[in-house]
Amino acid sequence: MVIDVYDPNYLAYDFGPAHPFSPVRLEMLLDLLHELGHPVGPMAPQPVSREDLLTVHSEEYVSAVEEADRGEPVTDPDRFGLGTPDNPVFPGMDQAARYLVGGTLLGAHLLFYDKAQTVIQLGGGMHHAQRDRASGFCVYNDLAVAIRYLLDHGATVAYLDIDVHHGDGVQTIFYDEPSVLTISLHESGQYLFPGTGEVHELGKLHGRGRKLNVPLAPFTEADSYLRAFSAVVPQALAWFRPDFLVVQAGADAHAGDPLADLLLTTQAFETLFQRCLEYADKFCRGRVLFTLGGGYDVHSVPRIWALLYLTIHGHPVASELPASWRQRWQERLGVDLPAAMHDPNPAYPPVPLREEIADHNRSITNRLLDSLMPYWYGSV
Amino acid sequence: MLVRDIMKSPVVVAECDATLASTYSLMREHGIRHVPVVRQGKLVGVVTDRDLRLATSALSTKPFSPKARIEKVMSQPAQTADPLDPVEEAARTMRQLKIGCLPVMSGADLVGIVTGLDLLDALLRLTGVSMPSGRLEVGLPDHPGELARLAAFLAAKQVNIRSILSHADADDRIRLVLRVGTIELKVIAQELRTQGFEVLWPALSPW
Repeated sequence: MVIDVYDPNYLAYDFGPAHPFSPVRLEMLLDLLHELGHPVGPMAPQPVSREDLLTVHSEEYVSAVEEADRGEPVTDPDRFGLGTPDNPVFPGMDQAARYLVGGTLLGAHLLFYDKAQTVIQLGGGMHHAQRDRASGFCVYNDLAVAIRYLLDHGATVAYLDIDVHHGDGVQTIFYDEPSVLTISLHESGQYLFPGTGEVHELGKLHGRGRKLNVPLAPFTEADSYLRAFSAVVPQALAWFRPDFLVVQAGADAHAGDPLADLLLTTQAFETLFQRCLEYADKFCRGRVLFTLGGGYDVHSVPRIWALLYLTIHGHPVASELPASWRQRWQERLGVDLPAAMHDPNPAYPPVPLREEIADHNRSITNRLLDSLMPYWYGSV
Repeated sequence: MLVRDIMKSPVVVAECDATLASTYSLMREHGIRHVPVVRQGKLVGVVTDRDLRLATSALSTKPFSPKARIEKVMSQPAQTADPLDPVEEAARTMRQLKIGCLPVMSGADLVGIVTGLDLLDALLRLTGVSMPSGRLEVGLPDHPGELARLAAFLAAKQVNIRSILSHADADDRIRLVLRVGTIELKVIAQELRTQGFEVLWPALSPW
């Protein structure tokens, strides 16, 4: 059984009209699903309590967010990553962020108590938020709170992050935790925010060999991405055998994304989502929680997340977008939106250095697997 | 960054009358390759794992016995550094003399040791990512005020600069690599281009 999790309060997580992390993307998605004849009938979460946040965040940081939210002056806000261009402070920020965490935590709860086999949380995925600082549009780390909840109930969790940016917050929070396997595929930190996620970041102490990073070259295309994904993810899950899988399904690895340089297509995303479900079935009895994440291109993001939703629910994928939806959002945003669900083929002109990029990714993937072998199977 | 910021202390030392065998054990026990040698508390040389291996090698025409005293095989006099030397000065000395460590002396006292690995750590600190940030590479003409123009632009955007590296390229252009605290770097790169800056990364789309 699939359960959708969503609350209209998610739309209040809004850094302002000029900011890329806009709730419009979510509105477009819900409207699109509605027009496609699959209106979302979600369970609504409660905002999380302070205690829930303190399972992964420092008290000092949570207090700073609360103070900033009330409009009180925060001593040294930059220390907490607040009031920066990426994370401007807005009224209601604390509450809106707590709703997002609440949704992901509700998803974990539903999985743990067998109320659902698959959960799609239509929000969240705030993977950059750190123990004591906001970062990269993320205030509270909903993923980490949900994972911590499952750990505290004795479960093991695999975390898969396909956002184009490294899942640094989740990795750091569980860096020495043996019961959490993290796998992040992203554009290399040598080129892209947040700068981390190199192959050699394998975890520490008992967590070593359980934090995996696949840093891909800029302008990596779908074939190369999917090759790396299939070389690493199933092997890691087969070894780790988690009780639950949590997937951060950011849509910003798409070719049209304005903040990054990977070149996935909607077709590639559909394949990725199918494989995630396949692996969940194979390695953790189908128990999987999907969240949204980054993704800043209005032309592609609603289509990618609609594909996620339709794939999870086993609904057929319409080839055309509803004309009324398209017209409404073209007028509202003043942009031209595509008529088809999937990208045209080819979606973009040929990329120079295509072979070099694919070779580089292949060697990165091999280097990662080679360095994991001693931790997974003893010295070889 | 000064030598005192990167040196290791306290220092594991050997007496000059210690044997090769006991010094070898000392290195194994502490996982180190460089041992300053002292006589009555005064630095008289340095012995490295390489010194020991060469001295005792079966390939040597006259190998030393494991019971020989280390003062017979140590390098002397030891090259040293001052705690207040800049790290680049220590790097230059070690590179020029092709040596792997510098005992650090404050007056007559041995207060620390710097090895090649400590310099690599320093390099990582200078170039590495300690805060979430994005990479911006800009080519600037080698004129006064160019960096200030770039910094002023970033300051106006409220974007924090986490680190700056620079080097001159073949065309006498200064290449600056900045780590800046924002996820929205492509947007900023575009604005920099319209302001006439030569942005080398993030790249324009390849088409």
